[in-house]
Amino acid sequence: MYGNLIDALPAVLSLGNLAAVVIGVIAGICVGALPGLSATMAISVLIPFTFGMDPLVALGMMAGIYNGAMYGGSIPAVLLRIPGTPAAVATSFDGYPMAQQGRGGYALQVAVVSSAIGGIVSALVLMLLAPPLAKVTLLFGPTEIFWVAVFGMSAIVFLLGGDVLKGLISAAFGVFVSLVGADTITGAERYTFGHLELLDGINIVVLLVGLYALPPAIGLLEEVRDFDTQNTGRLNTISIWKAMPGMLKYWKTWVRSSVIGVFVGILPGAGGSMAAFLSYNEARRASKNPEEWGKGEPEGVAASETSNNADTAAALIPALTLGIPGTAVAAVMLGGLLIHGLQPGPMLFRDNPGIVFGFMWQFLFAAVLLIFLGGALATNSFAQVLRLPRPLLGAIIIALVFIGVYSINGRMFDVYLMLGFGLIGYFMDKLKFPLPPVVLGLILGGFAEQNLRLALRIGGGDWSILAASPTAKILIAMILLVVLAPLFSRWLRARKTHRANA
Amino acid sequence: MRLKTIAIAAAFLISGGMASTALADYPEKRIDMIVGFAAGGGTDVMARTIAPYLEKYLGNDVSVVVKNMPGASGQIGVTAVAEADPDGYTLGTYNLPGAMARTLDRHADYNADSFTYLANIVNDPNVIVTPKNSDIDSMDKLVEAAKARAGAVTVAMSSLGGDDHFFLQKLSDVTDADYTVVPFSGSAPARSALMGGHVTMGIINVSEVVAFRDELNVLGIASEKRSPMAEDIPTFKEQGFDLVNGALRGFVAPAGLPDDVESKLLAAFQKTYDDPDFQKAMQRSGNPTELALGEQFKALNAEQLELAKRIWETHPWK
Repeated sequence: MYGNLIDALPAVLSLGNLAAVVIGVIAGICVGALPGLSATMAISVLIPFTFGMDPLVALGMMAGIYNGAMYGGSIPAVLLRIPGTPAAVATSFDGYPMAQQGRGGYALQVAVVSSAIGGIVSALVLMLLAPPLAKVTLLFGPTEIFWVAVFGMSAIVFLLGGDVLKGLISAAFGVFVSLVGADTITGAERYTFGHLELLDGINIVVLLVGLYALPPAIGLLEEVRDFDTQNTGRLNTISIWKAMPGMLKYWKTWVRSSVIGVFVGILPGAGGSMAAFLSYNEARRASKNPEEWGKGEPEGVAASETSNNADTAAALIPALTLGIPGTAVAAVMLGGLLIHGLQPGPMLFRDNPGIVFGFMWQFLFAAVLLIFLGGALATNSFAQVLRLPRPLLGAIIIALVFIGVYSINGRMFDVYLMLGFGLIGYFMDKLKFPLPPVVLGLILGGFAEQNLRLALRIGGGDWSILAASPTAKILIAMILLVVLAPLFSRWLRARKTHRANA
Repeated sequence: MRLKTIAIAAAFLISGGMASTALADYPEKRIDMIVGFAAGGGTDVMARTIAPYLEKYLGNDVSVVVKNMPGASGQIGVTAVAEADPDGYTLGTYNLPGAMARTLDRHADYNADSFTYLANIVNDPNVIVTPKNSDIDSMDKLVEAAKARAGAVTVAMSSLGGDDHFFLQKLSDVTDADYTVVPFSGSAPARSALMGGHVTMGIINVSEVVAFRDELNVLGIASEKRSPMAEDIPTFKEQGFDLVNGALRGFVAPAGLPDDVESKLLAAFQKTYDDPDFQKAMQRSGNPTELALGEQFKALNAEQLELAKRIWETHPWK
């Protein structure tokens, strides 16, 4: 197996194949940075064109786009508080406050270095540990995946913000949105009002763009007389190579977030956004000064960006070995493989080692390239965008999201839906309802529901199936630990102060 | 008078000329091939594989362009084909039994009479699989386990109202036992749940099992004859169970296609099917081929609709 890895290397290093990765990374950063365009969309647009290409060229571009977009999403998240991709939502928590404090350049540098590290770890895991990790994936049946979703939901607690009631209403709204569409078990239509367009549920990008990109874009339009953009336009950066040694102190976060990203990657159905939320939460819990988080803590950017890139190649482990994609992007990539006659499964590694292992190398190169291409692009080109007059910037963003949302399925229905969400987002913003719980509610709500119902069907309606397997028991223990630990420590503290007072 | 004669003659000439050009010249512009699924799916790969062969055999340097209209498990695309002009410039992919089952379990803006049936190309028979380490490694053991307690056997499959579901209903009738359906929304997740031992058995298609032969027990295949993709899997008929079922993928046009256009298209599909390069390309993408052309395809569709109706009436799934 490792011999195959070496054998695959020369083909990957050929000029055409290497150029494909470089082009992919640049395209990916741009696509990720533009709100409304996502890696999933870029790769699905690319797939028909790859029909006549050499497989490694096509796959190299896809690997580049995937890695590039996961970092690119952080650029508008940091500079404008508009996450470019769903996975960059958690990056905006601390990235945007940093930009407001004039440390936006440093935030982007932390983001690009962390993204590259996450991507490198993920690629190495894919290269070296794919078969054993596929066995781990098989341990997760519907019961276990249900508990993973519940574990993710327990992360909502910290996203609720100051006003718990408003946070819960936001989360409930997200879960409600996840109910729209054909019931995954029986196919019964829920809240579709006879629209075929709603049968497959609401695409996360439509919701994300509506809630996150439209209200701030409208806000930019309102700043008509504000042409003084000198201050925000400057990112105050030093060269990325000089900045890197100072980042070494984040190594614990890098390790932790890489592990979380890889783990979420190999689970079927979970995605980069869940990885980013979870690892942001874990990094904050481990931090010595959790009260600084959300106010411009670089470690928050590092946590989120490391894990959303660590999710990339890892998501291909179940995709290549079992045919079950770990993320929406991996699902589209499977299509890219299929179009070249590459059927996922154990035979793929035996029959086409040159392509499969070459693809893995390309993931590694794409991650390394991020530092060079992303570092230069982020600090130089994209920051210039902020020098544009604000109303112009707002208008550009609105035009982009219209194009992006239309091109998901090529229909206006999604654009109208996005405008509806934009209206909701505008009022949520004004009324101070937090947005992240909506996103998490939408992602995890459907996930939890489907798997709970599958598990109960398997168990013949007996709820005890939920705690039957050892994996499920471990997950339940972890959830209890996460939920009860803060309560316990608060109780301890209260007792201490009580004693001190007495 | 002379003027009138000339005018009439001219009109005849023009109309006659037009009729004969239509006859001779189809296709004279781009043909759209509507695929009801996203790029990269099994149906999409089939459409993209066949497009260059249709271009070749229809002649006139025509281009056949694949247009993806994903959504509602193919229904949006099929509806668009049914509502297009029947001029031969809009074709579409067609999946059975799904396309007909949706006319029963959902509101659909089309029915069996909305189409000109061109060619069914893929016939992917169902197979029964169990985990490698399972005790149930033969049909007899499966039937025994299913009869021991109603619903004791859990069955992973991709969705309700699809070919795998209809197959299970047939199995249930033939073996006189009740099974518990676990629909995973997709064959790959169902197969993985099976490999992880989370369910008793699974119903998938033979194309989905070929790459996983070492990881699964395959109890049988629901075809008349053994599949060339997996010669060693015995048919259910050989084992004494009258079970034939599968997923079908083909091509349709809107109803009311002019006869000459229809016969040109049918000829092009026949020639494509007979092309060894096309067969090789289909094999490479893991698609078991079996041609049903024109009237034959129409009969196949009617048969599938009958089956769906029977199951919908006796065991409605929603």
